[in-house]
Amino acid sequence: MYTWIPLTTAADLTKLKDFVTPEYKPEQVADKLINGISNAVKGLLIEHGYVDKDYRSTYYNFYSKKGQKYNADCVRLHFFDETVDFDKTYLRLSCKDKELHDHYFGYMVLRPTGIATIGRSVLTPDVRSGATGSIIAAYHYVHLLGYTLRVQGFPSMDQHVDISVCAHVACWSILRHYSVDQSNYREHLVHDITLMAQQFNPGGLVPSRGLELSHAERVFQQAGTFPMNIARRDGDVTDPSFYRQLIAYVESGFPLFAAMHKRKHAIAVIGCAWRAPIDEVGAGMRYAWDEVKSLVVVDDNYLPYLSISRQGGSPYAIEDIDDFIVALPEKIYYPADAVDGLAPTLFRLGTVVGLPPQDETIIRYFISTGSAFRRFVRERESEFDTKLFEVIMALPYAQYVWVVEISTGAQWASGQIAARAVLDATASLRDPVPLWLFHSRARALIFDRRTVGSDVTKSVSVLELTGMEQTALTCMTQNLRPTQSK
Amino acid sequence: MNNEKAVVIDPISGLSPADPTALMDFAREMTEEVIPKIVKVVEERRLRATETRLWQLKC
Repeated sequence: MYTWIPLTTAADLTKLKDFVTPEYKPEQVADKLINGISNAVKGLLIEHGYVDKDYRSTYYNFYSKKGQKYNADCVRLHFFDETVDFDKTYLRLSCKDKELHDHYFGYMVLRPTGIATIGRSVLTPDVRSGATGSIIAAYHYVHLLGYTLRVQGFPSMDQHVDISVCAHVACWSILRHYSVDQSNYREHLVHDITLMAQQFNPGGLVPSRGLELSHAERVFQQAGTFPMNIARRDGDVTDPSFYRQLIAYVESGFPLFAAMHKRKHAIAVIGCAWRAPIDEVGAGMRYAWDEVKSLVVVDDNYLPYLSISRQGGSPYAIEDIDDFIVALPEKIYYPADAVDGLAPTLFRLGTVVGLPPQDETIIRYFISTGSAFRRFVRERESEFDTKLFEVIMALPYAQYVWVVEISTGAQWASGQIAARAVLDATASLRDPVPLWLFHSRARALIFDRRTVGSDVTKSVSVLELTGMEQTALTCMTQNLRPTQSK
Repeated sequence: MNNEKAVVIDPISGLSPADPTALMDFAREMTEEVIPKIVKVVEERRLRATETRLWQLKC
């Protein structure tokens, strides 16, 4: 059964209670939506009797064993813009340009659990009130009434409270994103996550007593990733290299499982917003982290895409995050701590490559794949000297590379860079020169890394670049989707 | 290996050997200063992580 509710404003969502039974808590859900989504949402389609695999995983293993009789089915809410109409006779969705997925904002599953009823949801950040910046997102395909709709977003849900807690939900969100975004990761349902956290099935309500951070690490390991636990220095709220790494992994497209020790809370960090460019002459060398205004997080107590500021914000701030787990693929051996230490040392090669003064620059580093880097360069052929282009295409990178970009404040403001280094992400911690390539607009250093133990002074070539002095040299932003508020 | 190397790099014209002095300075600073600091930081983070693994998360 399907019910269409046209919305004049988000406040019309109070009508939800007229069509959805109390076990789904429609009034509480409506309150959350009224305060959390924009007025761009003009149509709501209620899909009754929806079979949700995540809820069913908890139903079969938990709710069906209880004395109270829980419904096995969910309700799914679909959100549309003002151009979409619904024909009740033929259950037909229509819009003038016939591109329904361009007018679809996503869905939200409601569970019949009486408390914390918002289940698996994927909403576009474009209709989330207060959402800013760019987020890690993937396309999710939705099958509805014979249509295949598409929404770009990040999965979220409320914690079940009685069977799972915040840490389970943060793990689930990240792993569901991985399974949609990358074909080499399988899907894990909510109940799978509660089991993966433990060495044995603890049974009953034990998962709701919480997780230790090590259990979250175990979940990611069980899912086939290689989790790295990065802890902030004890008692050092600022610990700049901790936060520089945090933003580096987010910009690399890895959502982070972030822990707040004092709050005993876990969230997923999935994006960031930059502060307005400022001219800080004489402020010294800066890092991308210094330019971050806020982080975008998925918190199971709120609708997704919550924006948190650096300090003192509500409900908490970035400074409250004191540990994170990044679920990495195999073959990233060179840690962010090493890149963070190496990056300023690149200025020792400044006279060879031609770099701006170190104290006027902003350093940004992140992980990419060799193929994504080549694709980025391919799409910007005109920015590169043809010889450098040839070198970039010919270098035998391992699958993953660290990219270090150096820009002046003015270049940062316009999305340009002065120089770029490509590091071998499979390098050893003690490798003195873990570089494939280091180039500016004037010169490139090309490092032949394939002979182990080779003399660095003899395995490096220099290439004089022509025609790049006045052209654009664009910074590489590949992994995050900008929010376009509607 | 030499043949493989020739296939990748040598056909690209315009390459010349880099000034060894700057490269040696870079490698020396990496070996004597940067890498020991990196190793120390990585070890400190590893030790700290052994403590944080026991943190309870349940909100």
